[in-house]
Amino acid sequence: MTPATVTAPKQPRTKAATTARPGGFAGNLLRVDLTRRTSRAEPWAPETMRELLGGVGLGAMILYRETATKGGKGNVAWDHPDNRLVLGTGPLAGLPVWGTGGLTVCTIGPGTNGPTSTQANGFFGTNLKYCGYDAIIIQGQAKDWVYLYINDDVVELRDARALIGLDTWDTQGALYQETGLAGHQLSVYSIGPAGENLVRFAAIQGDYGHVASKNGCGAVMGKKRLKAVAIVKGTKALHAADPRGVIQAADEMAHDLRTDPSARSLYEYGTLPGVVNLSKMGALPIKNYTTNLTSNVAGADMSAWEAPKLRENFDHRGHQCNACGMHHCHMSIIRQGDRKGAIVDEPEYEGWSGCGWAIGSADRDGVAWLNTECDRACVDVNEWGWLCGWVMECQEKGYITREQLGFELKWGDIKGAHRLLQMVSRREGLGNLLAEGVKRAAEKLGGPAKECAIYIEKGATPRGHDHRARWEEMLDTCTSSTATMETGNPVHPTEIGQPARVNPFDGEQVAKYVAGLRGRRSFEDSLGICIFTSRTRLESICRALSAATGWTFTVDEALRFGRRTAAINRATALRCGHTGAMEYPSTRYGSTPVDGPAKGQAIRAQWEKMLDTWYAEVGFDRKTGRPWPKTLKGLGLDWLAKDLWGKKA
Amino acid sequence: MSVLRIHPEKCTGCLRCELACSYMQTGDFQPAKSVIRVSPFEGHTSYAPYTCTQCAEGWCMTACPVGAITINAVGAKDVLDDRCVGCKLCTIACPYGTMFYDPATRKAFKCNLCGGAPACAEACPTAAITYEDVTTEDWLGDFARERTERVLTGVQ
Repeated sequence: MTPATVTAPKQPRTKAATTARPGGFAGNLLRVDLTRRTSRAEPWAPETMRELLGGVGLGAMILYRETATKGGKGNVAWDHPDNRLVLGTGPLAGLPVWGTGGLTVCTIGPGTNGPTSTQANGFFGTNLKYCGYDAIIIQGQAKDWVYLYINDDVVELRDARALIGLDTWDTQGALYQETGLAGHQLSVYSIGPAGENLVRFAAIQGDYGHVASKNGCGAVMGKKRLKAVAIVKGTKALHAADPRGVIQAADEMAHDLRTDPSARSLYEYGTLPGVVNLSKMGALPIKNYTTNLTSNVAGADMSAWEAPKLRENFDHRGHQCNACGMHHCHMSIIRQGDRKGAIVDEPEYEGWSGCGWAIGSADRDGVAWLNTECDRACVDVNEWGWLCGWVMECQEKGYITREQLGFELKWGDIKGAHRLLQMVSRREGLGNLLAEGVKRAAEKLGGPAKECAIYIEKGATPRGHDHRARWEEMLDTCTSSTATMETGNPVHPTEIGQPARVNPFDGEQVAKYVAGLRGRRSFEDSLGICIFTSRTRLESICRALSAATGWTFTVDEALRFGRRTAAINRATALRCGHTGAMEYPSTRYGSTPVDGPAKGQAIRAQWEKMLDTWYAEVGFDRKTGRPWPKTLKGLGLDWLAKDLWGKKA
Repeated sequence: MSVLRIHPEKCTGCLRCELACSYMQTGDFQPAKSVIRVSPFEGHTSYAPYTCTQCAEGWCMTACPVGAITINAVGAKDVLDDRCVGCKLCTIACPYGTMFYDPATRKAFKCNLCGGAPACAEACPTAAITYEDVTTEDWLGDFARERTERVLTGVQ
């Protein structure tokens, strides 16, 4: 295959930077215009680096500045060529801090038709940074399928027509063959059939098992006719202001992860312990939220789902991201049954949930296989679980007939689920409607079918938990501007002045807690570090950042940065048409558990009060959803206050 | 003497050794300048690091026409920058591919065991690289052969 175009990035003439470039940054943003088939490296100023860092900090600002319609009142839709697809890393990416292969995808996504921030790892960030770029900003729309090839200063849009129809793993294999590279020498993030066919919950998958999954970012890539981004491990140097300091901070964080009770199981087994632990809280979603008793799933033996047994069920080998010492990501081989010998990516908790418990299956081999099939098709495993479980329930109750679907799909039927996955990712038959995602499909079918669908009124779906027993996550999910949890789980909450724990079923306490934790997640997602290796003291992360950059970055600045980023995303979401009326769970999502540990806990009864409290705590206007001018000015966002409030600011 | 012992079955391919090594070699993080390299086996399922075994034969030393490769205090073959003329004969002579040439400096470079405290061994989170007083040997041969027979082993 010959390159369709060869365009080495040009260095635009810019004013000399007023201060030296901080360490940790590669120094350039790579802008690729698919319509014009051009690319260029844009140096960015040290002051901007401190203001935006990278990842979602950078992505949120690019979306706000570059996706407005003329006049700034509206926003381009997800499928418009002017939509941006920002593939960002961060100042820690590529350094010896554990889990710093970071990729943060920011775009206007088709789930909510609003902004997104969704993360993956592997070696994307490492390879990109060593090629000399901190992020890729993709705009426009290619006339025909292309993939983006980056090898230091060589940036090419290459013909990808021969790759169309291939799943993500086969795409990576094909690009290995084409380039003569293998392993981490070439990081490939691509879309499979679901992305090509604009499935609204299509993901971007890379490096065999790493997925940026939220808000249909894979469909955005598909709409732009960009099949893959392939980045050779670059040869350039990354300078750190204090390299020994980076290594020392990394070692300290590693020590925390190995020894801290809140992180140790993650260090040893990744997210595998989640299945059993969450089932004890009633937070493991089972059969589309119809039950919280594992005994209602045929063949379920919870002793086989303890993390060590779950891992030992497969031949397995560590498959870590950049510089990571966690025993988290693994490649596995199925030992027995129909799929004996198949290589799969060890599912995360959410894979066991979305391809297993949510659809009524406790077949560990089958679930692991289906999870990888989702990755290969590039389907978000969370929304997949809600969609497939919903179809199963609807068929059981007669809301979707066998004739409509084309076959019979019962709880726990892995083969049938796989058939449905193919229909959805190729938009065949009823799959064409289901590819629109749970909310749109449920609204189309209406009636009792709609009542049992799990979604958020904004158009997205939750992560793979039963949030009726995790109220903080439901509130976070519904109020978020990024189509998924924006605040995230508490990590050492007392470090930032929050209580160690709250009553999980007291709406007011929960709402204050979610508001109080706000900021940390957005900060971490701007650094190029994994969500799991950052489960350490924020102070340690700030120390690593300071050593890398040469700044003195404090915990206060980190939180302030995160809240500023969230406010910018909120402004973009409002411009996209999001309103406070959309901050509600669907009927089933916000229902009351009928059994299990959280039986009878009714979140909907407290929802309005939770919203009132959350809005007051974060300093947003409850009626319009806008952050108050006072809030924005307090974050140093005077310009945004003016944009949102005009003269009232 | 102590040598770098590679335990390939423990490597998870995180490449932290390359980062640490390049820092020792250059003062920056730059895997392209690392003298330990992690290679993939069987595509994406297995990885293993490889570096100079400080072999007794010392083909690099024998080949060097200007005597720029010497043995340092901890027994490692080391390149003397002020003598190296950048002819690359050593990179051809080394049967293991662990002699490198830096076009920026026009000098050869290789593992010198960091003067007795190898950064790669310290950086490896899974102890796949250890610094031990053992007889050096081909640490990867059996592993590579096994990879051709089965893709994965039951290790963590």
